[in-house]
Amino acid sequence: MNSPLKLEPLFHIGPVAITSPVLVTWAIMLALGLFAHLATRRLSLEPSRTQAALEAMVSAIDSQIADTMQADPAPYRALIGTILIFVLIANWSSLIPGVEPPTAHIETDAALALIVFCATIAYGVRAQGIAGYLKTFAEPSWVMIPLNLVEQITRTFSLIVRLFGNIMSGVFVIGIILSLAGFLVPIPLMALDLLTGAVQAYIFAILACVFIGAAIGERKPSSKASTTEHDIP
Amino acid sequence: MQIDWWTLGLQAVNVLILIWILSRFLFRPVAAMIEQRRAAAAKLIDEARTAHEQAAAELQKAVQQTAGLELARSEALKKIASEADAEKQAILAAARAEADRLRAAADSDIARASQNATEAHAARASQLAVDIATKLFARLPDAARIAGFIDGLAEGMAALPAPIRADIGSTPIRLKAARMLTADETQACRQRLSQALGGRPIDIEIEVDPALLAGLEIDMPHAVVRNNFRADLDHVAAALTQSAPTQLGRQGPRP
Repeated sequence: MNSPLKLEPLFHIGPVAITSPVLVTWAIMLALGLFAHLATRRLSLEPSRTQAALEAMVSAIDSQIADTMQADPAPYRALIGTILIFVLIANWSSLIPGVEPPTAHIETDAALALIVFCATIAYGVRAQGIAGYLKTFAEPSWVMIPLNLVEQITRTFSLIVRLFGNIMSGVFVIGIILSLAGFLVPIPLMALDLLTGAVQAYIFAILACVFIGAAIGERKPSSKASTTEHDIP
Repeated sequence: MQIDWWTLGLQAVNVLILIWILSRFLFRPVAAMIEQRRAAAAKLIDEARTAHEQAAAELQKAVQQTAGLELARSEALKKIASEADAEKQAILAAARAEADRLRAAADSDIARASQNATEAHAARASQLAVDIATKLFARLPDAARIAGFIDGLAEGMAALPAPIRADIGSTPIRLKAARMLTADETQACRQRLSQALGGRPIDIEIEVDPALLAGLEIDMPHAVVRNNFRADLDHVAAALTQSAPTQLGRQGPRP
């Protein structure tokens, strides 16, 4: 019997095996890209309902970043906002029959955590320089260097396992109950999955903010939001 | 549990690409629009603040103008009050002068009317006295009405200046009498008058004038010699009439 956690390739592109999470992720990317393009084609000072909702969402993300990192949210908006939206959509994709959420597989969660790990280092070095960033590992004392190094790894693994465990368990529970009970019985659990998926997306994004904020050190957010976007290096 | 490293790598690349896509097509334009709206709002706030400051300045200017107008109004009212007071004083002075003039005129009219009344009363009293005297003289005997006045007439003729007396006698003398003289009385008159003229013979024309009451009167071109009651009563009446205003004037003017 094959493990349900094992990925079976759907097809191959050359040597690359394309699995279900990748395919669903491409679909999510396509949907989000099209939606973003269509929704932002005709922005105006007198917003439509869609534009107002988008502006409210961006303002809420900025507010969360500023509150968590105590820094100007503009450089981090794209990373944190994308993680939040992608994880949320990926978690909720289980509502579509036959679709397994990409975050229910550890590869996707590991990829997200790896990006957060690299971004933390990059933002920390950019904010404090290499020496300054490395000095943060010796805080509050040099004795803490091993522990801080281990912490970098463990907190990344905790990101992976938390998201993977919650989403994968939800999918499994629904699948088991669906196989044992009637057709409508899993609906309450699916509703609970919606809540779990939203909470996990929020937690993942906020933890990313916390890690990056700790790397760049404490800063006061600027009173005037910057209009300059910075892509991650 | 196995990890599909191809899937992990592809998912990492996918997420990076998604970050770029959403940054390019979602976050950047929406954030730019938010910033644009914020700038527009800031501009509106600045304009509103500028308009408010201008309105405050205009209000201050209006307050100053109102204060100036109030001051000008106060000064104008003071000037008008002063002019009105002066006009009032002038009108009062004119009215007082007019009243004084009217009162003086009234006093004058009253005095004149009083004098006229006094004179009228005096004239009436004189007339009454003359009438009384006339009635009393009418009771005198006819002889007494002529004879007793011949000597007095002659004396009056003698008292005339010599040049006048020298002219008398060339023409008949007009002798007025209260009644027609008798022949004796005419002769007596001619004799006494001739003696008064130095014995020069004269001719007499008798003219009856009952108004004389009693007595005689010679009427000449250059002189009149009277010796009759009418002349005496006229003198008395004139004296009474002249004395009455004098006595009235001593009482002083009425207030």
